[in-house]
Amino acid sequence: MADAGLLREYKRREFLHLLNAGATLTLALPVQGAQTSTRIARVGEVYELYTGKIDMGQGLRTLLAQAAAEELGVAVSAIRVIMGDTARTPDDGGTWASLTTPQTVPAVREAAARERGGPPRPPAEWNVLGQSTPNTLGRDIVTGAQIYAGDLRREDALAGVILRPAALKARFESVNDEAARKRPNVTVVRQGDFLGVAAPTLREARAAARLIQAEWRPEPDPPIDQLAAEWEKSGVAPVEDLQTRYPPLVRRGDAENALKSAKNVQKTSFWLPFVAHTALETRSAIAEWQGDRLTVHCGKQAPFLVRAEVAKALGIAEEQVHIVSHMPGGGFGGKQRADVEIEAARLARAAGRAVRVHWSREEEFRWAYARPAGLMVVESGADEKGRITAWRHRVYNAGAPGLPPPYAIEHQSNEAWRTRAPYRQGSYRSLASVANNFARECHMDERAAEFKRDPLEYRLAHIEDTRLREVLERGAARFKWPGPGKACGVACTIEKDGRLAIFAEAARDGARFRVKRLLMVADFGAALNPGNLKNQMMGGMIQGLGGALFEEWTPATRSLRQYRVPRFSDVPPIDLELIDRREIASAGAGEAPIVLVAPAIANALFALTGERKRALPLTR
Amino acid sequence: MAAIDWTVNGQRRRTDVAAGAMLLDVLRDELKLTGAKPGCGEGACGACTVLLDGRAVKACVTPALSARNKTVVTIEGLARGEELHPLQQAFLDVEAYQCGYCTPGMILGAAALLEREPAPGEARVRQALEGHICRCGTYPRIVEAVRRAALEMRRG
Repeated sequence: MADAGLLREYKRREFLHLLNAGATLTLALPVQGAQTSTRIARVGEVYELYTGKIDMGQGLRTLLAQAAAEELGVAVSAIRVIMGDTARTPDDGGTWASLTTPQTVPAVREAAARERGGPPRPPAEWNVLGQSTPNTLGRDIVTGAQIYAGDLRREDALAGVILRPAALKARFESVNDEAARKRPNVTVVRQGDFLGVAAPTLREARAAARLIQAEWRPEPDPPIDQLAAEWEKSGVAPVEDLQTRYPPLVRRGDAENALKSAKNVQKTSFWLPFVAHTALETRSAIAEWQGDRLTVHCGKQAPFLVRAEVAKALGIAEEQVHIVSHMPGGGFGGKQRADVEIEAARLARAAGRAVRVHWSREEEFRWAYARPAGLMVVESGADEKGRITAWRHRVYNAGAPGLPPPYAIEHQSNEAWRTRAPYRQGSYRSLASVANNFARECHMDERAAEFKRDPLEYRLAHIEDTRLREVLERGAARFKWPGPGKACGVACTIEKDGRLAIFAEAARDGARFRVKRLLMVADFGAALNPGNLKNQMMGGMIQGLGGALFEEWTPATRSLRQYRVPRFSDVPPIDLELIDRREIASAGAGEAPIVLVAPAIANALFALTGERKRALPLTR
Repeated sequence: MAAIDWTVNGQRRRTDVAAGAMLLDVLRDELKLTGAKPGCGEGACGACTVLLDGRAVKACVTPALSARNKTVVTIEGLARGEELHPLQQAFLDVEAYQCGYCTPGMILGAAALLEREPAPGEARVRQALEGHICRCGTYPRIVEAVRRAALEMRRG
């Protein structure tokens, strides 16, 4: 499996590059050979537009075509978008962190405007951007013609299967693969703890795998319910580092002393479980060697990072590796790292033939990384009227995104503590922002209740940002916010420059509860494609509903029947309002809509039952 | 191996099927009809849904041999030439998808519903499609698309 060092280094370079170079991107880790930086090329009647990012359903292909069409003065259909191919596209960063809209779109507009020979068109004159251009993949999607990574085939490719231990952590004791090796056309590969089989068909590969007797020495899965105590004991305090996208320590004033001297101090702890991405398509790869050069077809969000990780794992140079990333059936942050690509490449090297590996759903749940669990401890000090003057938010393990509050608080210390997690964990839509918003917005609600204040009014009393005030005020009017005591909850935030507020109403349903309705008002600056943006807002909220109500990964999770994701019957009426500010630079919005669902519902539940739920999922 | 005679997307054909092979694998690997998608391998997500004699079945848990002498329709066989099926057109008009991976199964599940119930209410559509997962969360748009298509089909 790939190591964390390359990921860190790649993300650091990407961040610094964007910071320093602004709109014109081309970044590369230092090893590579030829690296294209071409953005746009005229090919006959059409323009080709190149990006190392990919479309996984967020509408990137259409959005970039809009941006280029706008500046070139041509139809969207005259733009052909070439994506995610390390030999043909520039390395303009991974498809993550909602960076496409604020970073890639301006870069494409610049390049297209240069091609036309003028400056980018001012937003007031847009004809194509700002329009709800339909997804250019739409017809292929509804006819079944759209090809996803898992649909790729090569007639001559072998099928690969990987043998895995029963426990998540285990070492080889012994392997007897004699019987499998005697089978015709079967290749068995054993390297370190890797054990896999390639054969002409999946059936033959599985049959051969069954003949292998492998003994592993398992380590017991560490119990999740002891992690919070463990992290609080052994966590490492953050140090200031502003040269990173998500600073782990953000301070203002003197939170330590302000907390000590505050009239009224309250401290509450919150828990966020591990969550599985559960993209509907499981990951797959086809690897093929030609001499010492390797080509891998896959469906990953960060092809250049995958290239670096594959090269390192296989012991070759990056310029010997060619990654072609095809559209995956969903990603959500779960398809960034190299895994199945490395497995296919190892088998293909030994077999001397192309090999295809396609993970099962069980392999996804067992061997892909999960969203990190988190312990969040929020402590605030208030004056006698309830005004918060001191604030300390410590998050363990989940990470720093979404940590600083949107509230005007004089003394703050926002701290992301480092921990050791016993399970594979990694990126996820908005990453820790779900954890940190859940903790902060629930804590604010508790403070409002303590001082017998309306949670909406209490928030507004702490907000100076006029755009955030406006989403709250508009939302309250549209939702018909009834004030405290009416089974309704609210949450708000500034996420990656977007302003959001969510309102929720809960109701009793026998001994349980249900979410009766949800409403979101959001302001992401200029809406570049309002139709697609609303689709993302709705989708993000519904994904957030799963994490709020029932999603919880454990080492025992094996199948979709055990892991509940939102279905039709789980979705309440959802009302959306989008504030479109053409004059303000667009914020990325693929992630933000997920972050407030849990606290809004938890706060509504308190209003309904009088009981505080400080751990997700709320139905547990 | 056993040979089965069946009709796939309007075409009579004979296909060799391995013992125990699932319908989904035969459609995707033998017939190269990749519109039906694998998602969970246990009939729990609906991405592999196809029509077997007009009924929606989960192809990942349906033995291929059970399709002998029957008619199968996949997403590739739903349109009439260039003319989309009303459900395809409605999904396209509403943009009832993001990644689109669940869309073929959704459309075929909805087709089986509308075949039997031409005017389902919103709650009925949700209930009928409960076995389908859209991980991107486009459920409200899907309900809207199905009801639009139903209206269109009743108008003829």
